[in-house]
Amino acid sequence: MRALDWLVLAGSLVFIIAYGLYRSRGSNTVNRYLLAGKTMPWYAMALSIMATQASAITFISTTGQSYVDGMRFVQFYFGLPLAMVILSATAVPIFHRANVYTAYEYLEQRFDAKTRALGSLIFLLQRGFSVGLSLYAPAIVLAVIFGWPDQWTTVIMGTLVITYTVIGGIQAVTWTDVQQMLVIFLGLIVSMIMVVLLLPADVSLLDAMHLAGAAGRLNVVSTSFDWNDRYTLWSGLIGGMFLALSYFGCDQSQVQRYLTGRSIAQSKLSLLFNAMAKVPMQFFILFVGAMVFVFYIFEKPPLLFAPAALSRIEADGPRHRPVETRYSAAFENRRQAASDWIDAHRRDSPDGQARSLARFRQAQQELDAARADGARLVQESGGEQGFNDTNYIFLSFVTRYLPAGFVGLIIAVIFAAAMSTISAEINSLATVSIIDVYRRHVRKDASDRHYLWASRLATVFWGLYAMSFAGYGRKLGSLIEAVNMLGSLFYGTLLGVFVLAFFMRRVGGNGAFVGMLAGEAAILAAFLFTGISFLWYNVIGCVVVVAVGLAVAFFSDGAKRRPAASQ
Amino acid sequence: WRRVYFAVIFYLGVLIVLFYLFMKAFSS
Repeated sequence: MRALDWLVLAGSLVFIIAYGLYRSRGSNTVNRYLLAGKTMPWYAMALSIMATQASAITFISTTGQSYVDGMRFVQFYFGLPLAMVILSATAVPIFHRANVYTAYEYLEQRFDAKTRALGSLIFLLQRGFSVGLSLYAPAIVLAVIFGWPDQWTTVIMGTLVITYTVIGGIQAVTWTDVQQMLVIFLGLIVSMIMVVLLLPADVSLLDAMHLAGAAGRLNVVSTSFDWNDRYTLWSGLIGGMFLALSYFGCDQSQVQRYLTGRSIAQSKLSLLFNAMAKVPMQFFILFVGAMVFVFYIFEKPPLLFAPAALSRIEADGPRHRPVETRYSAAFENRRQAASDWIDAHRRDSPDGQARSLARFRQAQQELDAARADGARLVQESGGEQGFNDTNYIFLSFVTRYLPAGFVGLIIAVIFAAAMSTISAEINSLATVSIIDVYRRHVRKDASDRHYLWASRLATVFWGLYAMSFAGYGRKLGSLIEAVNMLGSLFYGTLLGVFVLAFFMRRVGGNGAFVGMLAGEAAILAAFLFTGISFLWYNVIGCVVVVAVGLAVAFFSDGAKRRPAASQ
Repeated sequence: WRRVYFAVIFYLGVLIVLFYLFMKAFSS
Protein backbone atom coordinates (compact mmCIF):
# COMPACT_ATOMS: atom_id res chain seq x y z
CA MET A 1 0.00 0.00 0.00
CA ARG A 2 1.48 3.32 -1.12
CA ALA A 3 0.44 6.84 -0.08
CA LEU A 4 -2.00 7.16 -3.00
CA ASP A 5 -3.59 3.81 -2.07
CA TRP A 6 -4.18 4.97 1.51
CA LEU A 7 -5.67 8.21 0.18
CA VAL A 8 -8.09 6.34 -2.12
CA LEU A 9 -9.07 3.88 0.65
CA ALA A 10 -9.61 6.55 3.34
CA GLY A 11 -11.31 8.95 0.91
CA SER A 12 -13.83 6.40 -0.33
CA LEU A 13 -14.67 5.17 3.20
CA VAL A 14 -15.15 8.71 4.57
CA PHE A 15 -17.30 9.74 1.59
CA ILE A 16 -19.49 6.63 1.79
CA ILE A 17 -20.16 6.98 5.53
CA ALA A 18 -20.68 10.77 5.41
CA TYR A 19 -23.17 10.41 2.54
CA GLY A 20 -25.04 7.65 4.38
CA LEU A 21 -25.34 9.75 7.54
CA TYR A 22 -26.39 12.82 5.53
CA ARG A 23 -29.20 10.85 3.85
CA SER A 24 -30.41 9.39 7.17
CA ARG A 25 -31.30 12.67 8.91
CA GLY A 26 -34.65 12.50 10.68
CA SER A 27 -34.52 8.82 11.69
CA ASN A 28 -36.20 9.78 14.97
CA THR A 29 -39.09 7.33 15.20
CA VAL A 30 -39.06 3.53 15.31
CA ASN A 31 -40.77 3.39 11.92
CA ARG A 32 -38.18 5.69 10.31
CA TYR A 33 -35.28 4.05 12.14
CA LEU A 34 -36.19 0.47 11.21
CA LEU A 35 -38.26 0.89 8.02
CA ALA A 36 -37.12 4.31 6.69
CA GLY A 37 -40.75 5.42 7.03
CA LYS A 38 -41.40 3.25 3.93
CA THR A 39 -39.96 5.91 1.64
CA MET A 40 -37.20 4.06 -0.23
CA PRO A 41 -37.04 4.08 -4.04
CA TRP A 42 -36.49 0.81 -5.92
CA TYR A 43 -32.90 1.50 -7.02
CA ALA A 44 -31.69 2.14 -3.45
CA MET A 45 -33.31 -1.08 -2.21
CA ALA A 46 -32.00 -3.01 -5.24
CA LEU A 47 -28.38 -1.98 -4.67
CA SER A 48 -28.76 -2.49 -0.91
CA ILE A 49 -30.04 -6.05 -1.47
CA MET A 50 -27.10 -6.71 -3.78
CA ALA A 51 -24.54 -5.17 -1.41
CA THR A 52 -25.90 -7.11 1.57
CA GLN A 53 -25.51 -10.40 -0.30
CA ALA A 54 -22.00 -9.58 -1.62
CA SER A 55 -19.76 -10.04 1.40
CA ALA A 56 -16.01 -9.44 1.28
CA ILE A 57 -15.24 -13.13 1.27
CA THR A 58 -17.63 -13.67 -1.66
CA PHE A 59 -15.65 -11.13 -3.65
CA ILE A 60 -12.20 -12.43 -2.64
CA SER A 61 -13.07 -16.13 -2.87
CA THR A 62 -15.04 -16.03 -6.12
CA THR A 63 -12.12 -14.73 -8.18
CA GLY A 64 -9.78 -17.26 -6.55
CA GLN A 65 -12.26 -20.07 -7.08
CA SER A 66 -12.40 -19.30 -10.79
CA TYR A 67 -8.58 -19.39 -10.93
CA VAL A 68 -8.52 -22.85 -9.33
CA ASP A 69 -11.77 -24.46 -10.44
CA GLY A 70 -13.15 -22.44 -13.34
CA MET A 71 -16.41 -20.54 -13.71
CA ARG A 72 -18.92 -23.29 -12.89
CA PHE A 73 -19.73 -21.61 -9.55
CA VAL A 74 -21.96 -19.20 -11.53
CA GLN A 75 -24.56 -22.01 -11.71
CA PHE A 76 -25.12 -21.52 -7.97
CA TYR A 77 -26.99 -18.29 -8.91
CA PHE A 78 -29.23 -19.70 -11.67
CA GLY A 79 -32.11 -20.23 -9.24
CA LEU A 80 -31.98 -16.65 -7.96
CA PRO A 81 -34.05 -15.01 -10.75
CA LEU A 82 -36.75 -17.68 -10.32
CA ALA A 83 -36.83 -17.03 -6.56
CA MET A 84 -37.10 -13.27 -7.14
CA VAL A 85 -40.12 -13.74 -9.39
CA ILE A 86 -41.84 -15.98 -6.81
CA LEU A 87 -41.08 -13.55 -3.96
CA SER A 88 -42.28 -10.55 -5.98
CA ALA A 89 -45.59 -12.32 -6.56
CA THR A 90 -46.01 -13.57 -2.97
CA ALA A 91 -43.84 -12.28 -0.10
CA VAL A 92 -43.64 -8.62 -1.17
CA PRO A 93 -47.40 -7.91 -1.34
CA ILE A 94 -48.17 -10.09 1.70
CA PHE A 95 -45.53 -8.49 3.97
CA HIS A 96 -46.39 -4.98 2.79
CA ARG A 97 -50.12 -5.40 3.40
CA ALA A 98 -49.52 -7.06 6.77
CA ASN A 99 -47.69 -3.83 7.70
CA VAL A 100 -44.98 -5.64 9.67
CA TYR A 101 -41.46 -4.71 10.81
CA THR A 102 -40.18 -8.28 10.56
CA ALA A 103 -41.05 -11.38 8.58
CA TYR A 104 -41.60 -13.28 11.84
CA GLU A 105 -44.19 -10.75 13.05
CA TYR A 106 -46.31 -11.96 10.12
CA LEU A 107 -46.05 -15.55 11.45
CA GLU A 108 -48.04 -14.48 14.54
CA GLN A 109 -50.67 -12.76 12.40
CA ARG A 110 -51.01 -15.93 10.34
CA PHE A 111 -50.37 -18.64 12.98
CA ASP A 112 -49.68 -17.92 16.65
CA ALA A 113 -47.15 -16.49 19.11
CA LYS A 114 -45.12 -19.69 19.52
CA THR A 115 -44.53 -20.01 15.76
CA ARG A 116 -43.37 -16.38 15.64
CA ALA A 117 -41.09 -16.98 18.64
CA LEU A 118 -39.54 -20.08 17.03
CA GLY A 119 -39.08 -18.29 13.69
CA SER A 120 -37.37 -15.28 15.27
CA LEU A 121 -35.23 -17.53 17.51
CA ILE A 122 -34.03 -19.47 14.45
CA PHE A 123 -33.11 -16.19 12.72
CA LEU A 124 -31.24 -14.85 15.77
CA LEU A 125 -29.27 -18.11 16.05
CA GLN A 126 -28.52 -18.34 12.34
CA ARG A 127 -27.50 -14.69 11.82
CA GLY A 128 -25.81 -14.52 15.22
CA PHE A 129 -23.57 -17.40 14.16
CA SER A 130 -22.55 -15.80 10.88
CA VAL A 131 -22.20 -12.10 11.73
CA GLY A 132 -18.77 -12.58 13.32
CA LEU A 133 -17.44 -14.39 10.26
CA SER A 134 -18.45 -11.51 7.95
CA LEU A 135 -16.03 -9.35 9.95
CA TYR A 136 -13.38 -11.96 10.71
CA ALA A 137 -12.84 -13.42 7.23
CA PRO A 138 -11.72 -10.24 5.40
CA ALA A 139 -9.56 -9.24 8.41
CA ILE A 140 -7.69 -12.55 8.16
CA VAL A 141 -7.14 -12.23 4.39
CA LEU A 142 -5.82 -8.66 4.79
CA ALA A 143 -3.58 -9.88 7.63
CA VAL A 144 -2.07 -12.58 5.41
CA ILE A 145 -1.51 -10.31 2.40
CA PHE A 146 -0.46 -7.04 4.10
CA GLY A 147 0.58 -8.22 7.55
CA TRP A 148 -2.02 -5.91 9.12
CA PRO A 149 -2.98 -7.17 12.63
CA ASP A 150 -6.43 -8.72 12.16
CA GLN A 151 -7.61 -7.33 15.54
CA TRP A 152 -7.02 -3.79 14.25
CA THR A 153 -8.84 -4.39 10.97
CA THR A 154 -11.74 -5.91 12.91
CA VAL A 155 -11.92 -2.98 15.35
CA ILE A 156 -11.71 -0.29 12.62
CA MET A 157 -14.27 -1.96 10.34
CA GLY A 158 -16.59 -2.81 13.26
CA THR A 159 -16.44 0.69 14.78
CA LEU A 160 -17.23 2.37 11.45
CA VAL A 161 -20.20 0.07 10.84
CA ILE A 162 -21.60 0.45 14.37
CA THR A 163 -21.27 4.25 14.18
CA TYR A 164 -23.32 4.81 11.04
CA THR A 165 -25.80 2.00 11.72
CA VAL A 166 -26.57 3.21 15.26
CA ILE A 167 -26.88 6.87 14.27
CA GLY A 168 -28.80 6.55 11.01
CA GLY A 169 -30.65 3.24 11.25
CA ILE A 170 -31.77 1.57 8.05
CA GLN A 171 -31.62 4.77 5.98
CA ALA A 172 -27.89 5.06 6.71
CA VAL A 173 -27.45 1.34 6.01
CA THR A 174 -29.29 1.54 2.68
CA TRP A 175 -27.64 4.70 1.35
CA THR A 176 -24.15 3.54 2.36
CA ASP A 177 -24.97 0.22 0.66
CA VAL A 178 -25.75 2.13 -2.55
CA GLN A 179 -22.37 3.89 -2.47
CA GLN A 180 -20.58 0.69 -1.47
CA MET A 181 -22.13 -1.19 -4.38
CA LEU A 182 -21.02 1.55 -6.78
CA VAL A 183 -17.45 1.24 -5.42
CA ILE A 184 -17.66 -2.55 -5.93
CA PHE A 185 -18.83 -2.09 -9.55
CA LEU A 186 -16.01 0.40 -10.19
CA GLY A 187 -13.43 -1.94 -8.62
CA LEU A 188 -14.64 -4.86 -10.74
CA ILE A 189 -14.45 -2.90 -13.99
CA VAL A 190 -10.98 -1.55 -13.13
CA SER A 191 -9.78 -5.08 -12.23
CA MET A 192 -11.03 -6.44 -15.55
CA ILE A 193 -9.41 -3.67 -17.59
CA MET A 194 -6.11 -3.96 -15.70
CA VAL A 195 -5.81 -7.73 -16.00
CA VAL A 196 -6.41 -7.57 -19.78
CA LEU A 197 -3.91 -4.70 -20.17
CA LEU A 198 -1.31 -6.68 -18.20
CA LEU A 199 -1.45 -9.65 -20.60
CA PRO A 200 1.60 -9.90 -22.92
CA ALA A 201 1.34 -7.62 -25.97
CA ASP A 202 1.04 -10.55 -28.39
CA VAL A 203 -1.85 -12.21 -26.47
CA SER A 204 -5.27 -10.89 -27.45
CA LEU A 205 -8.38 -11.17 -25.26
CA LEU A 206 -9.67 -13.86 -27.66
CA ASP A 207 -6.40 -15.82 -27.30
CA ALA A 208 -6.69 -15.49 -23.52
CA MET A 209 -10.23 -16.88 -23.59
CA HIS A 210 -9.13 -19.85 -25.72
CA LEU A 211 -6.31 -20.62 -23.27
CA ALA A 212 -8.65 -20.34 -20.27
CA GLY A 213 -11.11 -22.63 -22.08
CA ALA A 214 -8.36 -25.16 -22.85
CA ALA A 215 -7.54 -25.33 -19.13
CA GLY A 216 -11.22 -25.91 -18.28
CA ARG A 217 -11.60 -22.50 -16.64
CA LEU A 218 -14.57 -21.47 -18.81
CA ASN A 219 -16.74 -24.53 -18.10
CA VAL A 220 -19.78 -22.49 -17.12
CA VAL A 221 -22.60 -25.04 -17.45
CA SER A 222 -22.60 -28.68 -16.30
CA THR A 223 -25.67 -30.78 -17.13
CA SER A 224 -24.49 -33.69 -14.93
CA PHE A 225 -27.11 -35.26 -12.62
CA ASP A 226 -24.60 -36.08 -9.85
CA TRP A 227 -26.25 -35.35 -6.46
CA ASN A 228 -22.86 -34.97 -4.80
CA ASP A 229 -21.56 -32.49 -7.41
CA ARG A 230 -22.05 -29.12 -5.75
CA TYR A 231 -22.39 -26.99 -8.88
CA THR A 232 -24.51 -28.28 -11.75
CA LEU A 233 -27.29 -26.70 -13.80
CA TRP A 234 -29.86 -28.68 -11.77
CA SER A 235 -28.46 -28.01 -8.30
CA GLY A 236 -28.28 -24.34 -9.31
CA LEU A 237 -31.81 -24.09 -10.71
CA ILE A 238 -33.54 -26.14 -7.98
CA GLY A 239 -31.23 -26.02 -4.94
CA GLY A 240 -30.15 -22.46 -5.75
CA MET A 241 -33.78 -21.37 -6.10
CA PHE A 242 -34.70 -22.83 -2.70
CA LEU A 243 -31.64 -21.23 -1.10
CA ALA A 244 -32.49 -17.84 -2.66
CA LEU A 245 -36.14 -18.19 -1.57
CA SER A 246 -34.97 -18.86 1.99
CA TYR A 247 -32.41 -16.07 2.03
CA PHE A 248 -34.42 -13.32 0.34
CA GLY A 249 -37.85 -14.38 1.61
CA CYS A 250 -37.26 -15.50 5.21
CA ASP A 251 -34.03 -13.84 6.38
CA GLN A 252 -34.75 -10.50 8.04
CA SER A 253 -31.39 -9.09 6.89
CA GLN A 254 -32.81 -9.18 3.33
CA VAL A 255 -36.57 -8.87 4.00
CA GLN A 256 -35.96 -5.58 5.85
CA ARG A 257 -34.40 -4.10 2.67
CA TYR A 258 -37.62 -4.39 0.67
CA LEU A 259 -39.96 -3.63 3.58
CA THR A 260 -38.66 -0.04 3.35
CA GLY A 261 -40.14 0.43 -0.15
CA ARG A 262 -42.44 3.38 -0.76
CA SER A 263 -44.87 1.01 -2.53
CA ILE A 264 -45.35 -2.65 -3.38
CA ALA A 265 -44.35 -1.91 -6.98
CA GLN A 266 -41.06 -0.27 -5.89
CA SER A 267 -40.21 -3.26 -3.68
CA LYS A 268 -40.99 -5.70 -6.51
CA LEU A 269 -38.77 -3.72 -8.87
CA SER A 270 -35.87 -3.92 -6.40
CA LEU A 271 -36.05 -7.73 -6.37
CA LEU A 272 -36.54 -8.01 -10.14
CA PHE A 273 -33.49 -5.77 -10.73
CA ASN A 274 -31.47 -8.32 -8.75
CA ALA A 275 -33.04 -11.10 -10.83
CA MET A 276 -31.62 -9.42 -13.94
CA ALA A 277 -28.26 -8.19 -12.63
CA LYS A 278 -26.98 -10.81 -10.18
CA VAL A 279 -26.09 -13.65 -12.59
CA PRO A 280 -24.18 -11.38 -15.05
CA MET A 281 -22.35 -9.76 -12.12
CA GLN A 282 -21.20 -13.13 -10.76
CA PHE A 283 -20.22 -14.18 -14.29
CA PHE A 284 -18.12 -11.02 -14.55
CA ILE A 285 -16.36 -11.61 -11.19
CA LEU A 286 -15.58 -15.21 -12.18
CA PHE A 287 -14.36 -14.07 -15.59
CA VAL A 288 -11.89 -11.72 -13.88
CA GLY A 289 -10.57 -14.77 -11.99
CA ALA A 290 -10.24 -16.74 -15.24
CA MET A 291 -8.27 -13.86 -16.81
CA VAL A 292 -5.97 -13.73 -13.74
CA PHE A 293 -5.34 -17.43 -14.46
CA VAL A 294 -4.31 -16.58 -18.05
CA PHE A 295 -2.11 -13.71 -16.81
CA TYR A 296 -0.22 -16.23 -14.65
CA ILE A 297 0.38 -18.48 -17.68
CA PHE A 298 2.93 -15.90 -18.86
CA GLU A 299 4.05 -14.49 -15.48
CA LYS A 300 5.27 -17.04 -12.97
CA PRO A 301 2.98 -17.24 -9.93
CA PRO A 302 4.31 -18.28 -6.50
CA LEU A 303 3.94 -21.97 -5.65
CA LEU A 304 1.46 -20.89 -2.93
CA PHE A 305 -0.31 -17.52 -2.73
CA ALA A 306 -0.23 -17.27 1.08
CA PRO A 307 3.17 -15.68 1.93
CA ALA A 308 3.47 -17.13 5.47
CA ALA A 309 2.66 -20.67 4.30
CA LEU A 310 5.19 -20.37 1.46
CA SER A 311 7.91 -19.18 3.87
CA ARG A 312 7.10 -22.10 6.15
CA ILE A 313 7.74 -24.75 3.46
CA GLU A 314 10.73 -22.87 1.99
CA ALA A 315 12.39 -23.23 5.40
CA ASP A 316 12.18 -27.01 4.89
CA GLY A 317 14.70 -26.96 1.98
CA PRO A 318 15.19 -30.68 1.22
CA ARG A 319 11.46 -31.34 0.88
CA HIS A 320 10.53 -28.02 -0.72
CA ARG A 321 13.24 -27.88 -3.41
CA PRO A 322 12.09 -30.87 -5.55
CA VAL A 323 8.49 -29.58 -5.49
CA GLU A 324 9.63 -26.09 -6.52
CA THR A 325 11.80 -27.56 -9.32
CA ARG A 326 8.89 -29.59 -10.71
CA TYR A 327 6.64 -26.53 -10.40
CA SER A 328 9.09 -24.30 -12.31
CA ALA A 329 9.53 -26.90 -15.08
CA ALA A 330 5.75 -27.34 -15.43
CA PHE A 331 5.28 -23.55 -15.57
CA GLU A 332 7.89 -23.22 -18.36
CA ASN A 333 6.34 -26.11 -20.33
CA ARG A 334 2.88 -24.58 -19.99
CA ARG A 335 4.08 -21.11 -21.03
CA GLN A 336 5.86 -22.52 -24.08
CA ALA A 337 2.86 -24.66 -25.07
CA ALA A 338 0.56 -21.61 -24.73
CA SER A 339 2.85 -19.51 -26.97
CA ASP A 340 3.01 -22.36 -29.52
CA TRP A 341 -0.78 -22.66 -29.47
CA ILE A 342 -1.17 -18.92 -30.18
CA ASP A 343 1.31 -19.20 -33.10
CA ALA A 344 -0.53 -22.24 -34.52
CA HIS A 345 -3.87 -20.45 -34.09
CA ARG A 346 -2.56 -17.43 -36.03
CA ARG A 347 -1.16 -19.69 -38.78
CA ASP A 348 -4.51 -21.50 -38.83
CA SER A 349 -2.78 -24.84 -38.32
CA PRO A 350 -5.21 -27.33 -36.72
CA ASP A 351 -2.47 -29.97 -36.22
CA GLY A 352 -0.18 -27.48 -34.50
CA GLN A 353 -3.03 -26.29 -32.28
CA ALA A 354 -3.95 -29.85 -31.26
CA ARG A 355 -0.33 -30.76 -30.44
CA SER A 356 0.36 -27.63 -28.39
CA LEU A 357 -3.01 -27.96 -26.63
CA ALA A 358 -2.17 -31.52 -25.52
CA ARG A 359 1.19 -30.28 -24.14
CA PHE A 360 -0.56 -27.34 -22.46
CA ARG A 361 -3.05 -29.60 -20.66
CA GLN A 362 -0.31 -32.03 -19.61
CA ALA A 363 1.77 -29.16 -18.17
CA GLN A 364 -1.34 -27.79 -16.38
CA GLN A 365 -1.85 -31.17 -14.68
CA GLU A 366 1.80 -31.23 -13.56
CA LEU A 367 1.47 -27.67 -12.25
CA ASP A 368 -1.69 -28.52 -10.29
CA ALA A 369 0.02 -31.62 -8.85
CA ALA A 370 3.03 -29.55 -7.70
CA ARG A 371 0.70 -27.00 -6.03
CA ALA A 372 -1.16 -29.83 -4.29
CA ASP A 373 2.20 -31.18 -3.03
CA GLY A 374 3.04 -27.69 -1.76
CA ALA A 375 -0.26 -27.53 0.15
CA ARG A 376 0.46 -31.00 1.60
CA LEU A 377 3.88 -29.81 2.78
CA VAL A 378 2.21 -26.91 4.62
CA GLN A 379 0.04 -29.36 6.56
CA GLU A 380 2.93 -31.75 7.23
CA SER A 381 5.11 -28.92 8.55
CA GLY A 382 2.54 -28.13 11.24
CA GLY A 383 0.62 -25.48 9.26
CA GLU A 384 -3.12 -25.14 8.81
CA GLN A 385 -4.88 -28.47 8.25
CA GLY A 386 -6.88 -28.48 5.02
CA PHE A 387 -4.70 -25.57 3.81
CA ASN A 388 -6.19 -23.75 0.84
CA ASP A 389 -4.87 -20.54 -0.72
CA THR A 390 -7.91 -19.73 -2.90
CA ASN A 391 -8.77 -16.63 -0.84
CA TYR A 392 -5.32 -15.08 -1.38
CA ILE A 393 -4.98 -15.43 -5.17
CA PHE A 394 -6.78 -12.28 -6.30
CA LEU A 395 -5.38 -9.97 -3.61
CA SER A 396 -1.88 -11.36 -4.22
CA PHE A 397 -2.27 -10.43 -7.91
CA VAL A 398 -3.64 -6.98 -7.03
CA THR A 399 -0.82 -6.07 -4.64
CA ARG A 400 1.97 -7.31 -6.93
CA TYR A 401 0.88 -5.96 -10.30
CA LEU A 402 -1.63 -3.11 -9.99
CA PRO A 403 -0.32 0.47 -10.00
CA ALA A 404 -0.59 2.91 -7.07
CA GLY A 405 -4.14 4.04 -6.34
CA PHE A 406 -5.72 0.93 -7.83
CA VAL A 407 -4.64 -1.24 -4.88
CA GLY A 408 -6.36 1.25 -2.55
CA LEU A 409 -9.51 1.02 -4.68
CA ILE A 410 -9.58 -2.79 -4.48
CA ILE A 411 -9.05 -2.71 -0.70
CA ALA A 412 -11.90 -0.15 -0.53
CA VAL A 413 -14.01 -2.72 -2.41
CA ILE A 414 -13.14 -5.36 0.22
CA PHE A 415 -14.05 -2.96 3.05
CA ALA A 416 -17.26 -1.86 1.26
CA ALA A 417 -18.39 -5.44 0.66
CA ALA A 418 -17.70 -6.42 4.28
CA MET A 419 -19.31 -3.34 5.84
CA SER A 420 -22.46 -3.48 3.70
CA THR A 421 -23.10 -7.06 4.82
CA ILE A 422 -22.30 -6.49 8.51
CA SER A 423 -24.41 -3.32 8.76
CA ALA A 424 -27.47 -5.13 7.37
CA GLU A 425 -26.87 -8.05 9.73
CA ILE A 426 -26.58 -6.02 12.94
CA ASN A 427 -29.47 -3.76 11.87
CA SER A 428 -31.76 -6.76 11.28
CA LEU A 429 -30.60 -8.59 14.42
CA ALA A 430 -31.46 -5.45 16.44
CA THR A 431 -34.86 -5.17 14.73
CA VAL A 432 -35.83 -8.77 15.53
CA SER A 433 -34.46 -8.45 19.10
CA ILE A 434 -36.63 -5.39 19.78
CA ILE A 435 -39.77 -6.05 17.72
CA ASP A 436 -40.12 -9.83 18.13
CA VAL A 437 -38.60 -10.30 21.58
CA TYR A 438 -38.43 -7.10 23.69
CA ARG A 439 -41.63 -5.35 22.53
CA ARG A 440 -43.56 -8.63 22.27
CA HIS A 441 -42.52 -10.39 25.49
CA VAL A 442 -40.65 -7.98 27.81
CA ARG A 443 -42.04 -4.42 27.62
CA LYS A 444 -45.28 -4.31 25.66
CA ASP A 445 -46.52 -0.74 26.06
CA ALA A 446 -43.61 1.69 26.22
CA SER A 447 -43.35 4.88 24.17
CA ASP A 448 -42.06 5.06 20.59
CA ARG A 449 -39.02 6.98 21.87
CA HIS A 450 -38.27 4.14 24.32
CA TYR A 451 -38.26 1.55 21.51
CA LEU A 452 -36.15 3.85 19.31
CA TRP A 453 -33.41 3.99 21.96
CA ALA A 454 -33.81 0.28 22.67
CA SER A 455 -33.21 -0.35 18.93
CA ARG A 456 -30.05 1.79 19.05
CA LEU A 457 -28.76 -0.07 22.11
CA ALA A 458 -29.55 -3.43 20.48
CA THR A 459 -27.57 -2.33 17.39
CA VAL A 460 -24.58 -1.46 19.61
CA PHE A 461 -24.92 -4.84 21.36
CA TRP A 462 -24.95 -6.86 18.12
CA GLY A 463 -22.08 -4.80 16.67
CA LEU A 464 -19.92 -5.40 19.75
CA TYR A 465 -20.96 -9.07 19.71
CA ALA A 466 -19.78 -9.37 16.08
CA MET A 467 -16.46 -7.69 16.93
CA SER A 468 -15.93 -9.97 19.95
CA PHE A 469 -16.77 -13.06 17.92
CA ALA A 470 -14.36 -11.94 15.18
CA GLY A 471 -11.71 -11.09 17.78
CA TYR A 472 -11.80 -14.65 19.06
CA GLY A 473 -11.84 -15.96 15.49
CA ARG A 474 -8.15 -16.78 15.42
CA LYS A 475 -8.46 -18.80 18.64
CA LEU A 476 -11.51 -20.60 17.29
CA GLY A 477 -9.60 -21.44 14.07
CA SER A 478 -11.63 -23.41 11.54
CA LEU A 479 -14.37 -23.76 14.16
CA ILE A 480 -15.67 -20.30 13.23
CA GLU A 481 -16.34 -21.51 9.68
CA ALA A 482 -18.01 -24.64 11.05
CA VAL A 483 -20.27 -22.41 13.14
CA ASN A 484 -21.18 -20.43 10.01
CA MET A 485 -21.95 -23.71 8.25
CA LEU A 486 -24.25 -24.68 11.14
CA GLY A 487 -26.08 -21.38 10.68
CA SER A 488 -27.01 -22.37 7.13
CA LEU A 489 -28.75 -25.52 8.40
CA PHE A 490 -31.78 -23.50 9.54
CA TYR A 491 -32.82 -21.98 6.23
CA GLY A 492 -35.01 -24.83 4.92
CA THR A 493 -37.16 -24.79 8.06
CA LEU A 494 -37.89 -21.07 7.80
CA LEU A 495 -38.73 -21.42 4.12
CA GLY A 496 -41.12 -24.29 4.90
CA VAL A 497 -43.08 -22.32 7.49
CA PHE A 498 -43.50 -19.36 5.13
CA VAL A 499 -44.69 -21.71 2.36
CA LEU A 500 -47.30 -22.98 4.85
CA ALA A 501 -48.23 -19.41 5.77
CA PHE A 502 -48.63 -18.19 2.19
CA PHE A 503 -50.19 -21.18 0.46
CA MET A 504 -51.67 -23.73 2.91
CA ARG A 505 -54.83 -22.14 4.27
CA ARG A 506 -55.91 -25.11 6.37
CA VAL A 507 -52.66 -25.36 8.36
CA GLY A 508 -52.76 -23.64 11.76
CA GLY A 509 -50.22 -22.77 14.44
CA ASN A 510 -49.78 -26.31 15.77
CA GLY A 511 -49.12 -27.73 12.29
CA ALA A 512 -46.61 -24.96 11.53
CA PHE A 513 -44.78 -25.40 14.84
CA VAL A 514 -44.55 -29.21 14.69
CA GLY A 515 -43.63 -28.99 10.99
CA MET A 516 -40.72 -26.66 11.80
CA LEU A 517 -39.35 -29.03 14.44
CA ALA A 518 -39.66 -32.01 12.06
CA GLY A 519 -38.05 -30.06 9.19
CA GLU A 520 -35.07 -29.11 11.34
CA ALA A 521 -34.65 -32.74 12.42
CA ALA A 522 -34.68 -33.85 8.76
CA ILE A 523 -32.00 -31.29 7.79
CA LEU A 524 -29.76 -32.31 10.70
CA ALA A 525 -30.18 -35.98 9.72
CA ALA A 526 -29.20 -35.18 6.09
CA PHE A 527 -26.19 -33.20 7.36
CA LEU A 528 -24.98 -35.88 9.80
CA PHE A 529 -25.73 -39.10 7.90
CA THR A 530 -25.55 -38.37 4.16
CA GLY A 531 -23.10 -36.85 1.68
CA ILE A 532 -25.79 -34.80 -0.08
CA SER A 533 -24.58 -31.35 -1.17
CA PHE A 534 -25.68 -28.57 1.21
CA LEU A 535 -27.69 -26.89 -1.56
CA TRP A 536 -30.28 -29.66 -1.22
CA TYR A 537 -30.77 -29.23 2.56
CA ASN A 538 -33.20 -26.36 2.00
CA VAL A 539 -35.29 -28.45 -0.36
CA ILE A 540 -35.43 -31.33 2.16
CA GLY A 541 -36.25 -29.05 5.12
CA CYS A 542 -38.94 -27.15 3.24
CA VAL A 543 -40.66 -30.29 1.92
CA VAL A 544 -40.69 -31.94 5.38
CA VAL A 545 -42.10 -28.81 7.09
CA VAL A 546 -44.91 -28.58 4.52
CA ALA A 547 -45.68 -32.33 4.61
CA VAL A 548 -45.74 -32.55 8.42
CA GLY A 549 -47.67 -29.28 8.72
CA LEU A 550 -50.35 -30.60 6.35
CA ALA A 551 -50.45 -33.96 8.16
CA VAL A 552 -50.94 -32.30 11.57
CA ALA A 553 -53.68 -30.07 10.14
CA PHE A 554 -55.37 -33.11 8.58
CA PHE A 555 -55.35 -35.19 11.78
CA SER A 556 -55.94 -32.39 14.27
CA ASP A 557 -59.48 -31.06 14.57
CA GLY A 558 -58.29 -28.29 16.84
CA ALA A 559 -56.05 -26.68 14.22
CA LYS A 560 -56.54 -22.95 14.10
CA ARG A 561 -57.86 -22.10 10.66
CA ARG A 562 -57.13 -18.59 9.63
CA PRO A 563 -57.14 -17.64 5.97
CA ALA A 564 -53.76 -17.08 4.35
CA ALA A 565 -53.24 -13.47 3.35
CA SER A 566 -54.47 -12.86 -0.15
CA GLN A 567 -52.26 -11.10 -2.63
CA TRP B 1 -46.93 -8.07 -13.48
CA ARG B 2 -47.37 -11.35 -15.35
CA ARG B 3 -45.47 -10.21 -18.46
CA VAL B 4 -42.59 -8.88 -16.37
CA TYR B 5 -42.26 -12.20 -14.53
CA PHE B 6 -42.27 -14.22 -17.75
CA ALA B 7 -39.74 -11.81 -19.29
CA VAL B 8 -37.38 -12.40 -16.34
CA ILE B 9 -37.69 -16.19 -16.67
CA PHE B 10 -37.16 -15.97 -20.45
CA TYR B 11 -34.10 -13.77 -19.82
CA LEU B 12 -32.66 -16.43 -17.47
CA GLY B 13 -33.16 -19.08 -20.16
CA VAL B 14 -31.39 -16.92 -22.74
CA LEU B 15 -28.50 -16.32 -20.32
CA ILE B 16 -28.03 -20.05 -19.70
CA VAL B 17 -28.05 -20.79 -23.45
CA LEU B 18 -25.54 -17.98 -24.06
CA PHE B 19 -23.28 -19.30 -21.28
CA TYR B 20 -23.46 -22.79 -22.82
CA LEU B 21 -22.53 -21.46 -26.27
CA PHE B 22 -19.73 -19.37 -24.72
CA MET B 23 -18.34 -22.50 -23.04
CA LYS B 24 -18.53 -24.54 -26.25
CA ALA B 25 -16.87 -21.77 -28.29
CA PHE B 26 -13.79 -21.64 -26.06
CA SER B 27 -13.37 -25.20 -24.78
CA SER B 28 -11.29 -26.11 -27.84
